[in-house]
Amino acid sequence: MSTSVTSSRGAGTADAAAGSGTPESPGTAPTTGGRAGRAGRPRRGHDLRGLAEKNALLVLLLGVVVFFSVLPASSERFATSENLAVILGTQATVALLALAVVLPLVSGYFDFSLGANAAASGVLAAGLMSKEDMSLAVACVVCLVFGSLVGLFNGVLVTRFGLNSFVTTLGVATLLGGLIQWYTGGQTILVGISPALVDFGSINVYGVPAVVYVVLLVALVLWYVLTHTPYGRSLYAIGANPRAAKLVGIRTERYVTASFVLAGAVAALVGILQLARTGSATADSGNSLLFPALAAAFLGATAVRPGFFNVVGTLIGVLFVSITVSGLTVASAAAWVSPVFNGAALLAAVGLSTYLGRARGRAS
Amino acid sequence: MSTSTSADLAVVVTGMTKSFGPTRALDGAGLTLRRGTVHALLGGNGSGKSTAIKVLAGVHPGDAGHLVVNGREADVAGWSAADAAEAGLRFVHQDLGLFEQLSIAENVALAAGYPTRVGRSVRWKELRAHVAELLERFEIDARPEQPVGSLRPAQRTMVAIARALQDRDDGEAVLVLDEPTATLPAHESEALLAAIRRRADLGQTVMMVSHRMQEVLAVADDFTVFLDGRSVAHLVGGTDAGAPTEAELVAHMTGRAFDGEAGRERVAVPQQAGEAALVVDDLHGGPLRGVSLSAWPGEIVGVAGLVGSGRSALLTTIFGVHRPSGGVLRVLGREQTGREDVKARMRQGVAYVSEDRVGESAFANLSLRENLSASVLRSFWGWRGMATTAERRSAEELVVSHAVKAGSVDHDFATLSGGNQQKAVVGRWLRRTPRLLLLDEPTQGVDVMSRVDIYATVRAAAADGCTVLVASSDFFELSTLCDRVVVLRDGVVDSELTGDELTPDHLTAATQSSVLTAGDAR
Repeated sequence: MSTSVTSSRGAGTADAAAGSGTPESPGTAPTTGGRAGRAGRPRRGHDLRGLAEKNALLVLLLGVVVFFSVLPASSERFATSENLAVILGTQATVALLALAVVLPLVSGYFDFSLGANAAASGVLAAGLMSKEDMSLAVACVVCLVFGSLVGLFNGVLVTRFGLNSFVTTLGVATLLGGLIQWYTGGQTILVGISPALVDFGSINVYGVPAVVYVVLLVALVLWYVLTHTPYGRSLYAIGANPRAAKLVGIRTERYVTASFVLAGAVAALVGILQLARTGSATADSGNSLLFPALAAAFLGATAVRPGFFNVVGTLIGVLFVSITVSGLTVASAAAWVSPVFNGAALLAAVGLSTYLGRARGRAS
Repeated sequence: MSTSTSADLAVVVTGMTKSFGPTRALDGAGLTLRRGTVHALLGGNGSGKSTAIKVLAGVHPGDAGHLVVNGREADVAGWSAADAAEAGLRFVHQDLGLFEQLSIAENVALAAGYPTRVGRSVRWKELRAHVAELLERFEIDARPEQPVGSLRPAQRTMVAIARALQDRDDGEAVLVLDEPTATLPAHESEALLAAIRRRADLGQTVMMVSHRMQEVLAVADDFTVFLDGRSVAHLVGGTDAGAPTEAELVAHMTGRAFDGEAGRERVAVPQQAGEAALVVDDLHGGPLRGVSLSAWPGEIVGVAGLVGSGRSALLTTIFGVHRPSGGVLRVLGREQTGREDVKARMRQGVAYVSEDRVGESAFANLSLRENLSASVLRSFWGWRGMATTAERRSAEELVVSHAVKAGSVDHDFATLSGGNQQKAVVGRWLRRTPRLLLLDEPTQGVDVMSRVDIYATVRAAAADGCTVLVASSDFFELSTLCDRVVVLRDGVVDSELTGDELTPDHLTAATQSSVLTAGDAR
């Protein structure tokens, strides 16, 4: 009895404080005016912590590079331009898919179908060229349209019909995996693929694989869209509070659907680049691409703009994972080390971003 | 009246006192419930009704006072929730606490515990039999396995009542209902009140809080009226001679003899020249059942009404959040088709501040700057991208002009106090220089100083020719801020107050009572 009295007394005072209005906290800094100026902002301690938070992943990345460069087991072969070209070339598709994953995540929606979307687009491109004798350009356009339509399908289901994005896109991914099996008959498509595409996948420009430039170009566009257009800012607003976003005139359903469509188009591009790199299209579900991409996106949300999915952070995330894995490979670590490291890095990233208290990923 | 030994008195409370800090919510209030009667507890906002119920329930410990429940004497100061339960007090709150997707049987069992066998498996048959008997006893026409969500609203309330009384239906239990009909449509509340009346006739003691005067008069035997934390009237009905009139009760609630003329519908006269900025005619949709009103440039028009009267729905419908199902809506001279969404109405010059700041206004994790520019994103966009420097500068200017206390415009919005958040939200909308500003509970949970700032801002906007519509449950706010106030009841405009009539007391009377409004409610 006495305990219940004490606990309810606490509740009573809290109620009273809320009822009488929250008085201004004396601790808040004085009003910032135009005259107070940017130089005079009292935020040094805050800034230092923020700076450390923003650049932690980048520092970690540099640390890893230094570590493998001096480690006797790997120093000889790790820090070479050949190895760098290999890393960048093999990770280009993962990086691009990670950027696609980020788009719906910004406003709080998962899209697990992007890996399967990429795989299906690659198979479709190969099939169109080898079975239907389509030209490279037409095949690419058809693929991009296909990827966008898959995104549109996801977006409409998730926004208009209010289905859970997690389950919906998982279902679409499974469905696409099945369609890939049906279309290829389980066979790898080897012949009839445009030599121009395969050449593009293997050449280096200034010592860097050509596909990397495609990734950088897309990253630049997406960075601009997400940080420098009203559309991108609206997506972040939807991620922060969808109801409030609606009430400031953001057409949330349309905007979120558009982000799914854009992500689908980027995923289709991933499929085409994958085809260019390998020169063949296998009946693969695409999940082997998706998981590292998701890991990179979540790692990226701890960097540059901590707590928010962002383009630059995602690229750093991809580099961090791939360079570490490469280092481990060069140092002849056992095969199980890479997946263990990937998993651990993802858990650490999600844990960290949750700890920062601002994880965007509304698991809806 | 305070002879507490009488066997036919279920509850006697005397000298109940409770302070929250410097505010005295209850100041020696008293309450006497006769066994087997329906007792109405009445009073305006802040009169201490809710506090009294919370003290009785043991949720808030009282400061002083004496109470006798079923012959058991106790000090208010030491009264706990366990004591209240043991003494036979049973509470059903406005939020019934039912799980709509679960069956009636499960809802009952979740409160009383499932009957189990060895191994903790549920004895469903026994539970169903118990619940079937309970439904029978409380005259609820439903099966135990039916989900609560499939019941009519009045039946749901009865299930909650049956659940509360399931273990203590011996005539000793005292049922306390907090605004049981507040969210129910008229015919549902009639059904519920009839059921409550039957329980009382069978010997159940009931105390109910309600704002609907006519219902209270129809169902209650006795009345206690609270004003400023004191019980100012205790009226024992039962006989025809003793039944008070509505005007009498309202007079007690407002603390003065009531002038029958006041509160009568009147047409406001000042500053209504030229074309109206807002014309609403016979607007239907959701809780709105034919609202008609007009507002002119420069006017601040208040919207009063009880919960469920359509106060908030009127604003959201005008803003385009909900589509009206019928009626005419003309905004700033333009006839609306009804299909415009929020963005379209914003373009026409309408702005809206929701009553739910945390849920519908704040982007808590975005910066103050981003929160301020959320309504005008496009204006900062050029081919070089978002003009963040200009955005920051304008945010800093807004922070000054709206007296928002913030460390930096780049800090998270969540770090601001409630009052400053609200000032920023108002600023977010006023930077668009709207021609029609809709405010829903603009100062809810806002401290006194911020409230003054917000009033000044709103008045300044009106002085510039903006039409302002303020929905509020705070009668003091409505009477100080508004030029006139329309009172909504059941989705229609019931009356309008202007000039000398525009006082908190008149507003209390107008929202609580219906005899005071002459003629047709439109």
